[in-house]
Amino acid sequence: MATTACFIIVSRNDIPIYEAEVGVAAKREDAAQLHQFILHAALDIVQDLAWTTSAMYLKSVDRFNELMVSVYVTAGHILYMLMLLHDSRNDDGIKSFFQEVHELYIKTLLNPLYLPGSRITSSHFDTKVRALARKYL
Amino acid sequence: MTTMDPLMTPLGQMLLEEITPVVMLISTPSVEEASRKNGLSFLQMLTPFCSFDNIDVPVRTASDQPYRLHKFKLRLFYASDVKRPDLKEAKEQLKQVISEAGEKEFPDSNSDLPKINLELSSSSEYENTPSWFRFLNKELVRVASFSDHEAFDHPVICLLAVSSKDEQPINRFVDFFNTNKLPSLLNDGAMDPKVSKHYLLVHDNQDGPADRASKILTEMRSTFGTSDCTLLCINSSLDGPFKHQDNPWASYITNSSSSPTQDLGCFLKMDDIDEIKVLMQDLSSKHIIPNMEQKIRILNQQVSATRKGFRNQIKNLWWRKGKEDGADSLNGPAYNFNSIESQIRVLGDYAFMLRDYELALSNYRLISTDYKIDKAWKRYAGVQEMMGLTYFILDQSRKEAEYCMENAFNTYLKLGSLGQLNATRCGLWWIEMLKARDQYKEAATVYFRICGEDILHSAVMLEQASYCYLLSKPSMLRKYGFHLVLSGEQYKKCDQIKHAIRTYRCALSVFKGTTWSYINDHVHFHIGQWYASLGMYDVAVKHMTEILYCSHQSKTTQELFLSDFLQIVQKTGRTFEVTKLQLPVINISTLRVIHEDHRTFGSPSAANIREGLWRSLEEEMLPSFSAAKTNWLELQSKLILKKHNQNVCVAGEAVKVTIEFKNPLQISIPISTVTLVCKYSSSTDEVISNENESSMEKDNKVDRFRNMSSDNSSFMVSEVDFLLGGGETTMIQLSATPKEEGTLEIIGVRWKLSGTIVGFYNFELGQPKKNILKRRKTKHLPNEKFKFMVIKSIPKLQGSIHPLPGKAYAGDLRQLVLELRNPSEFPVKNLKMKISHPRFLIIGKQENMMSEFPACLRKNTDSVQSVMHDNPNITTDTVFLFPEGTSVQGETPFLWPLWFRAAVPGDISLCMSIYYEIGDVSSIIKYRTLRLHYNVQVLPSLDVSFQICPFRSRLEEFLVRLDVVNKTSSESFQVCQLSSVGHQWEISLVQAPDSIFPSQSLMAGQAISCFYTLKKSRRLSTLGDDVSTSPVRSDARLVPQIIEDIVYDVNSAPLVNFHHHERLQQEVSSKGDINTVDFVLIYRPFRSSDDPGLSTPSSVMSHHACHFSTASTGPISWLVDGPQTMHHDFSASFCEINMKMHIYNSSGATTFVRIDTLDSAGNGGHINSVNVVQSATTDNQAGWHDITPVNELKVTSNALETQSGKALSLESASSYIWSGSSSTHLNIEAMSSVEIPLQICVFSPGTYDLSNYVLNWKLPSNGQGDSDEKRQHSGQCQGYKYYLTVLQST
Repeated sequence: MATTACFIIVSRNDIPIYEAEVGVAAKREDAAQLHQFILHAALDIVQDLAWTTSAMYLKSVDRFNELMVSVYVTAGHILYMLMLLHDSRNDDGIKSFFQEVHELYIKTLLNPLYLPGSRITSSHFDTKVRALARKYL
Repeated sequence: MTTMDPLMTPLGQMLLEEITPVVMLISTPSVEEASRKNGLSFLQMLTPFCSFDNIDVPVRTASDQPYRLHKFKLRLFYASDVKRPDLKEAKEQLKQVISEAGEKEFPDSNSDLPKINLELSSSSEYENTPSWFRFLNKELVRVASFSDHEAFDHPVICLLAVSSKDEQPINRFVDFFNTNKLPSLLNDGAMDPKVSKHYLLVHDNQDGPADRASKILTEMRSTFGTSDCTLLCINSSLDGPFKHQDNPWASYITNSSSSPTQDLGCFLKMDDIDEIKVLMQDLSSKHIIPNMEQKIRILNQQVSATRKGFRNQIKNLWWRKGKEDGADSLNGPAYNFNSIESQIRVLGDYAFMLRDYELALSNYRLISTDYKIDKAWKRYAGVQEMMGLTYFILDQSRKEAEYCMENAFNTYLKLGSLGQLNATRCGLWWIEMLKARDQYKEAATVYFRICGEDILHSAVMLEQASYCYLLSKPSMLRKYGFHLVLSGEQYKKCDQIKHAIRTYRCALSVFKGTTWSYINDHVHFHIGQWYASLGMYDVAVKHMTEILYCSHQSKTTQELFLSDFLQIVQKTGRTFEVTKLQLPVINISTLRVIHEDHRTFGSPSAANIREGLWRSLEEEMLPSFSAAKTNWLELQSKLILKKHNQNVCVAGEAVKVTIEFKNPLQISIPISTVTLVCKYSSSTDEVISNENESSMEKDNKVDRFRNMSSDNSSFMVSEVDFLLGGGETTMIQLSATPKEEGTLEIIGVRWKLSGTIVGFYNFELGQPKKNILKRRKTKHLPNEKFKFMVIKSIPKLQGSIHPLPGKAYAGDLRQLVLELRNPSEFPVKNLKMKISHPRFLIIGKQENMMSEFPACLRKNTDSVQSVMHDNPNITTDTVFLFPEGTSVQGETPFLWPLWFRAAVPGDISLCMSIYYEIGDVSSIIKYRTLRLHYNVQVLPSLDVSFQICPFRSRLEEFLVRLDVVNKTSSESFQVCQLSSVGHQWEISLVQAPDSIFPSQSLMAGQAISCFYTLKKSRRLSTLGDDVSTSPVRSDARLVPQIIEDIVYDVNSAPLVNFHHHERLQQEVSSKGDINTVDFVLIYRPFRSSDDPGLSTPSSVMSHHACHFSTASTGPISWLVDGPQTMHHDFSASFCEINMKMHIYNSSGATTFVRIDTLDSAGNGGHINSVNVVQSATTDNQAGWHDITPVNELKVTSNALETQSGKALSLESASSYIWSGSSSTHLNIEAMSSVEIPLQICVFSPGTYDLSNYVLNWKLPSNGQGDSDEKRQHSGQCQGYKYYLTVLQST
């Protein structure tokens, strides 16, 4: 389990639609904004990188001190991406995590009451993501 | 990639300026004094003439091929400055530079956010990044100068200046070279102390003619050699200060000296300047360059001899290996200036300075390996650094260049604090190198790496990094923002608040409009805080308001945000006004405007009822409707007041606005003085012209708000204070009451948060189209909905019903009073009223006011009943008209009785509308309606069910089973009486009441059953209004007689009305069937103890059950009348038994009946089996079959037929036959009975079931053939069992 891990789903136009701190480390007051800053800044890198490869899992694309940013772009490429800020090197686990969350996200999309691109407020989704984080990260 | 000449790049230019020969200047005080007259030091005076754009000197270094040098520069240093710069001092200076820049660059608080100009091209980088960066970077490079591991700072020549005024100038010159006066670097062996010298005699022309000077010069020449001595005459401008057009010193003297720049060099005439120019040029071309050339050649020969060639290299390697074990300090062995390593380095640097880069590179490479082996890391790094630069200038291998720079940088970093300064310099060069190749992204990462322990330093570097991200292609704006924030944080840490604000503001332009909430909050919060710390509270508040909507933050953060915000607001010392305060959140979709024109509302809940509901209720009452209900188009036009195509409200009557306030935070916030912001204008015609004006005014909204709130003479607004708890949502009702005629416009709402900050919300902005009462005016301009024409005061009725219970048990019957008041002086008349649910609420009569309840329901057994029989059909469904001449006015309320009955469980919303016309007032409103609305919750009380079956033994008599279950959880009831409604039924209890209710009450959850006999009253053969005077026992009391109690009259006023509605409600298909019976069960709450329950002790509850059909088998009923037991001597003859059949036609028409008697033996085929089935179904006995074993059947093969002959088969042998006609036809008049004789013959003693006959009945089909009539027109009834026992008489 990663000590620090911040997971975020970004939709078109850089709008975060889901955020979760999934690390085990005790939460610091300023951690949330730092993580957002790092992830937000990493979008710059992702934007370039996403078009250079056909892979969905972009591995670790950016880093800030000890924190690394791993990204998984959905097939729509750039429309939605899953980003994880983490401090542990566990590529396989992160990849599996991304894949499962992606599946979970697709299930959310199937909900006719969910407007694509809007914030995911489902508590079920949240619990599932956290469970996956515990499992893989 | 640009194929630019590396020397033309910024880095190239920088190297040409920075890595140049150093001239050490030593001067006497009098020289300085002479130059000081010009506001310059001697060094400063010479400096502008030290760089030559086109010196055009041929140079020949190691190779034989000479080349020409064009650009050349010298660096002048006083001998005292030839040392490592003082770190502390340098830091102080840097800090000062940064602070000054902070002041200068501090953005105007009113200015808009800086726009990111994406059009920035790489070439214009230096225009777009703050200029003080360059200065700062230069300073940082300078701080690292005069390091002992490099040679390009070694003085190439020493310039000795002595004034002609000085005593014994020759001695002074000699004196300069006293070793103890020389810089320590020269003395301790790091630098070659044998620097070539040039002797300069300075003559101040103001001191007199140059005679003495030239004398000294000759003396000098003879002492030091001809070529090395020069005379410089300055200050020739004897006649006052001389102004230079473009002052050559201006650009060099930047530090704040007292004298303005144009005074610099004021005594220097053009001749003097030219002389200085010539001096410096000669010095360069005739002394410095040849000296360096010579040194290069000598050193190169030396190096070639000792180090070049395979043999030398092997030897060197072996020698170094041996040396390794020796000195192994961090810095490697100390190298003296005359060690071969130092010499090589000097050679390289000299070659570099004379731009023989090939030669420089080869020497650097040579020495690099040596240093590496020696683990002289600093020197190694320095050489690597130079190699990188050389590679860059040669533009050979970019990769190599970068590798060298990185290597050098990392090596410096490894040295820790020792190498920090050099690392910074190396990094800056490296960055420039990357920038020159447009690798801004990489440059940014290097900036990031330069950040050392010094916070201020790293802040600057981070900011520069951010600019690199901005300049990279494509622009990395997010990174730009992030690094600006990082940099701002560092600035903050070292108290450079202005810089911090500047960087954050730049970052804000990136993050503006982003939904990354934490980022937004962080940036705004800090900017706000910092502005506040600078005392700029207005701007601070502006930023702080952005973060108030922070529901995603933790509670502590929310508290922090809010308390900081309030603190800042408090510090401003005034109540702040913000147009869009986000706290609390206003849910604009809940906005409702309630105003009263001809419609008035008795309660707020009445206003919440859909308008359509009211309109359908009032449809019949309103004159416009009743007059012209021709088509919908007209209807529409009538509704809207044609002339005044806008909302109308009455002076003195409040326009109410309900709106929802929501607190998004987890902490509670106090909201006070919530008021509507209104605009009033006295003229009504102005409205149209006003529209344009108001739209123009939108710009200065805040001012407008302020004015409005103060000017409230012509209208009043209500004020509401409340505390919104964490996450709470409150509906607030606000009102504005105009006092005079005119036009009132509601603009928005204002409130005070925590008593300090005022928020506004303009309704017009976030205006949804729906939810406004005036929905039909959808085409209006949005602000039209908030605009009201105020007309003069007209009467308004106030009404209430009391005491209407909020909760009641089903069946509860109450007497209520409608109270109407008219506070105005004008009377109202023509009152009408309509109620939405007459099943629950009916209008009583005036005399009911007097009567006592429930005593008025008492059945007057002795008196004449006819008075009490109301026709239930009056006034129930139509509009109730109050008696003629009813007029409400003044203090005395107008009272009218109402009856309430909780008919069915559930939540009932009762609407009633009272129409009235306004008496004498001439107004556009002629009439008004008062709308009252009440909600009543009805709880289930008793579950009552009835079951009726006919007596077989008696005609027209029925057994009624009543099942009562108490559905309540705690209440117990006393069941008083069961009454049948109408006059044709008599009802009586089978058992005694005591046996049914031992405890006299029905406890919660208890269920009972009791049985009644229901009998059709013979005396009333026809239905109608002719009422028998003799009482009919239609009531059966269930309570013991001893209780002094009344018998309720179900035909008395409210009960009969309610019953009528119940009948309508419980309508079944068999309409008009006279064989139905209605029951009314009257009960009341039982008070064993004095618990204050829901209902008053004297209350009555009733349950109405209607349309119970007694005629289950069709319109006819019959009874076989005959002996039960007979004695007969069968030995004499067979027995003939006479019986009678009474047939009663209960239908309203003449019925044709055919009686078929069936002899079981032999005549079985007579009955069509299909018919039997039919009869079985009409008998409602489907599913109930006697199952007879087939093998027992003797008589018939038809299994179904055995039903009729079942008794016979049981009887086995004996049988009977019908004698007389086997089929009788007869017509029975409506509501009459006939008697038919029947006879059977019995042949043996036994018990017989005389049920095998069939009655076929047929109603005359009415010609219209109304298909909706579900009733059957014909049918067949199976005879029912009648047992006859015949015994052998003895």
